[in-house]
Amino acid sequence: MKQFVVIGLGRFGSSIARALSEKKFEVLAIDEDENRVREMEGVVSQAVVMDATDEKGLKELGVADFDTAIVSMGETIEDSIMITLTLKEMGIRQVIVKAKSDLHSRILKKVGADRITFPEREMAEKLAESLASPKIFDFIELSKTHGIVEMVVPKKIVDNTLRDLQLRAKYKVSVIAIKRKIPYSKPDGSTDFKEEIIIGPGSDDELISGDVLVLLGKNADLEKIKKL
Amino acid sequence: MKTDFDDLIELSDFYILSQKFEEAIKSLRKAEKIQKNNPRLYYNLGIAYEGLNEKDKARDCFRLALKLNPEYKSAQEHLDRLIEE
Repeated sequence: MKQFVVIGLGRFGSSIARALSEKKFEVLAIDEDENRVREMEGVVSQAVVMDATDEKGLKELGVADFDTAIVSMGETIEDSIMITLTLKEMGIRQVIVKAKSDLHSRILKKVGADRITFPEREMAEKLAESLASPKIFDFIELSKTHGIVEMVVPKKIVDNTLRDLQLRAKYKVSVIAIKRKIPYSKPDGSTDFKEEIIIGPGSDDELISGDVLVLLGKNADLEKIKKL
Repeated sequence: MKTDFDDLIELSDFYILSQKFEEAIKSLRKAEKIQKNNPRLYYNLGIAYEGLNEKDKARDCFRLALKLNPEYKSAQEHLDRLIEE
């Protein structure tokens, strides 16, 4: 089973430590702040109060045996750079680091970070996308040119089958899934929903008002369909 | 005794279950003209708007349902879900 060490237990660090533990991975969580560590006790496999710039301390904890390290030092850029360097020198295969700025990111790459993340920026971009077009729920960039969008089915094409719509031929996008809310009656007589996901829908599948389409295609083609 | 209002609510349930959310909204707006202060009316409206993925309107309706009945558990559950999405 994969083992993770999370260094820095601010908002991002503690959230990722929690999420990995929920997925049943072994997680070692480290922070200088005793209160933050205490909050992680019982949540992760092991939580330790320690200055992670202390190389000797990291070695004694056996950090070198972990597969992946996530470094999320909120305030101190120098510390995150030092720790990344130390972890790579210790031989950790994958070191993922939260960056604060482009310059920080460039330095992290030079000292061997395997992956750099800008959680606030990534979240902000997604939120901006969904605010710009309220019918877009999610966007995943696969490359500079291709992506996946989750969008509410435009009114114009409701009640048609995928065969009628010919989205592949006309818009060059593929429908990879349809998320649909299936209403049901509760014992008290009121109505509620459960969500159904139709993966790889067939050409006879008909679109219903309120369906969410998961579309794959070139960004330029996806933009066209967004405007329907 | 069943009233026109009850009939319209029942009709909206039928439309919701048939995934005809726009028709449900039409019935509920008619019902609203008869009786405004009914939490079930706004719960159903919330459900219909949620079905259409019109989340802002759905949120407003669940809030109204909760204003009229602060103990409305299902309305609270839907509102929480919509806010967290």
